[in-house]
Amino acid sequence: MRWISAVIACTVLVTLVVGGGAGAQGGKVVVYSALDTPVTNAVLQAFEQTSGLRTEALTLAAAGTLATRIRVEKARPQADIFLGGSIDFHAPLANDGLLDAYISPRLAEAKLAREFYNAGGYWYGWYIGALAIMYNRDRFEREMAPRGIKPPATWDDLLNPAFKGQVVLPNPVTTGGGFIFVAAQIFRFGNEDRAFEWLKQLAANATLIPASPAAITLVSRGEALLGVNWGHDIRAMAVNQGFPVELVFPPDTATEIGGVSIIKGGPNPEGARRFVDFMLGRLPQDINAKFGLRYPTRTDAPAPLGMPALTTLKFVNYNRQWAIDNMQRLRERWQKEVGK
Amino acid sequence: MAEGSWEVTQSRGQAVALRVGDPGLLAAFVAVGALLLGFVLYPTLRVISYPALVDYLAVPHNARWIAAMRNSLMMMLLSTGSATVVGFLYAYATTREDLPGRRVFQTLSLLPLFSPAFMVAFAYILMFGRQGLITKTLLGLDVNIFGWHGLWLVQTVAFFPYAALIIGQVLEAINPTLEHAARGLGADEWTLFRTVTVPLARPGLAAAMLLVAISVLADFGNAVVIAGNLPLLATEAWYRIEGLADLTGAAVVVSLLLLPTAGLFILERVWVSRRLYTAITGRGSRLVRPATPWYFRWPLVAFCTVVAVLILLVYAAVLAGAFARTWGYNWTLTLDHWRLALVQAGGQLVNSVKVGVASALLTSIVALVAAFLTSRRRYRVERALDVLAVLPAAMPGVFIGIGFLLAFNQPPLVLGGTAWILILALTFWHIPFGYQAATAGLKQIDRSIEEAAADLGASGLRVLTDVYLPLLRGAFAASFVTAFIRAVTNLSIVVFLVTPRNLVATYSILSMISGGFWGAAAALTTALLGVTFLAVASARLAISRGLRGLPVG
Repeated sequence: MRWISAVIACTVLVTLVVGGGAGAQGGKVVVYSALDTPVTNAVLQAFEQTSGLRTEALTLAAAGTLATRIRVEKARPQADIFLGGSIDFHAPLANDGLLDAYISPRLAEAKLAREFYNAGGYWYGWYIGALAIMYNRDRFEREMAPRGIKPPATWDDLLNPAFKGQVVLPNPVTTGGGFIFVAAQIFRFGNEDRAFEWLKQLAANATLIPASPAAITLVSRGEALLGVNWGHDIRAMAVNQGFPVELVFPPDTATEIGGVSIIKGGPNPEGARRFVDFMLGRLPQDINAKFGLRYPTRTDAPAPLGMPALTTLKFVNYNRQWAIDNMQRLRERWQKEVGK
Repeated sequence: MAEGSWEVTQSRGQAVALRVGDPGLLAAFVAVGALLLGFVLYPTLRVISYPALVDYLAVPHNARWIAAMRNSLMMMLLSTGSATVVGFLYAYATTREDLPGRRVFQTLSLLPLFSPAFMVAFAYILMFGRQGLITKTLLGLDVNIFGWHGLWLVQTVAFFPYAALIIGQVLEAINPTLEHAARGLGADEWTLFRTVTVPLARPGLAAAMLLVAISVLADFGNAVVIAGNLPLLATEAWYRIEGLADLTGAAVVVSLLLLPTAGLFILERVWVSRRLYTAITGRGSRLVRPATPWYFRWPLVAFCTVVAVLILLVYAAVLAGAFARTWGYNWTLTLDHWRLALVQAGGQLVNSVKVGVASALLTSIVALVAAFLTSRRRYRVERALDVLAVLPAAMPGVFIGIGFLLAFNQPPLVLGGTAWILILALTFWHIPFGYQAATAGLKQIDRSIEEAAADLGASGLRVLTDVYLPLLRGAFAASFVTAFIRAVTNLSIVVFLVTPRNLVATYSILSMISGGFWGAAAALTTALLGVTFLAVASARLAISRGLRGLPVG
């Protein structure tokens, strides 16, 4: 019988050890962060210092997973703030009544361009990512430079037959970035059919990857030669890990807007509002530019070190509403016509 | 109680009837039944009923999902075929007593069972990718391993051990006299193999194929790392959530995945399980198997060596990856990856062990009680309990993950945000393993012990705690070890239920792989393997100690 008592004792012990520390209450602002850990920690630390409030970060660099979590926790929301991730994840949550509207008094001071905040106050954009072409410098110099091939500078350069099978694209059916890339081509050509003709040619040259960060890894590691992804993520790979990966912002590129929003019914609504006020200031945007290499939405905040000024990039005339409204249809069309 | 004891000795049916009226047993029955209904059936129904009918009807219009179904079935056929063939040959070779190095080969084939779900795929990218140590550095080849072919290789290596284990048991049980007899009748080695060994191994082959097929269909870890853009049902649900926050789509996809796995599982239950029993229970005579002729022996040794090297490469790659500065570029040795892995994820390793121990304990306890309650299978309720206890084996991990996500983030029971949602999901997913071990253990115990206890006036629960539990230590430990290994190496459930406050190691490794921190991923994988081996070794030690104190029955 002794071993049974031991088992029971163990179970009780483990229960106590594991079960402890659930549920965070009492004055803390609970943040679901879709950014990387260093940026999240630095931003929250700055908030704690300026506001005197405590925070608890639940960091998971996966915006879709966090948005899903907010959705399933609807009956009893666990967090106050959804921080980071494209507003393409924030907007549907707002549409389904999962976010709280809040018009921040600091909005006027922040002087955000109209596209960077929701008129109803459901979400605010506090950083910008731009699509870029990346290539593996080592492999390019070894394999392409001797043949007189120059690094790509425009979207059309990706069609070069010399790159066949060496281009990695995030799949537009499974990733947000991949979809923005496809929509950008439609706006570039100003004609959906012609854009799809072009995309078909590109797809013949490319390998598609169903998850976005993995594509950067493949190019950095030299598993692939070049690809398309978010400029800041590419740059971070080069700066933080020292991989021989270069990036180019081609003309007619497109952006994602990184958001912050208040989760409806969270434990600390007052703290959540103060957090949003804080996010519209310069400090968090400077922190994000420094550690995350992402562009700030405030015009008075400088571009990340080593990145061209945002004003020097040439953006396609991107109609975000049209893109979201046509997302389902375009994804189906992609599958039907490109078949990848 | 003179009358009662008379009844017990008269008829076992009466004894059972007495026990059903036992309040303690009744309470246990209700408790286990409620647990299984609440944590197995309820999440299942939540997943299936989450999408609307129109969502299911839209499936034929979603080209990627149709492709995912086709690809999943194709991979199932390919990998099941190859893993079964390799497993069969390996088992055939290592059950020949005169095969040089057979013990080593046998031990090596068990290694993949300990490795985290994505490890073979990860290791083969390090070895055979464009920057692969073997493909590029040694051979100077330019190989793209991402895609169906890479996945095929990886799944074959990852899942052949299941086949080898099952087929090996059957082959061991074949009476050597049959081989002697065939020889005596003039059969050559090939005829013997074709007309005696293969037909007798057939039930084992079928069982192995079905088990491997279910594992391949549900394989998330390897697919997510190496399948590239190949749509597969097991990974598509994750991409729906991760990339698009589309829970409805994810629920549709995992429900689609449930169809073939449940079908295969039912096939296995009704068709194979029964036959397999008779094959294993027969006691082989201790006659030595006839010698294997050289023209059979050496090809078998060569084959086993190739397979063993493929397994060792997995471990070598991960170990080397943990120490090389930048894989494929800079081979300087470094401890930086360990620093990053242990500083960033050391706590997660501890969480993995906590979650593993908690869920394995719960699995073993619930499974043991359930096995005891259903061991008679006389009444319909007992059969219903039996079905519930084996049902999770038919469910892919991703299905359980989404089921718990949907079921336990809303009243009546809110577990979201705590470690319990993950622990309970793993617990109930692994119930079938503990249940099988306990059921098998119960079968070996002579009923007369129970009758004697009942004769002496022991209640039903008392019989369980004083008679069966002490005798079932071995089964308990076996189910604990299996459930623990599966829990700490799991990824398919973890990716959906991990809470940022309770991150576990496998999730961090996946983020490290996709974020490009391969060295740290390799270091953390090595550490996780170390923890797993340590836990299994101490459990084995505990068992052997425990068995020494066991009265010989």
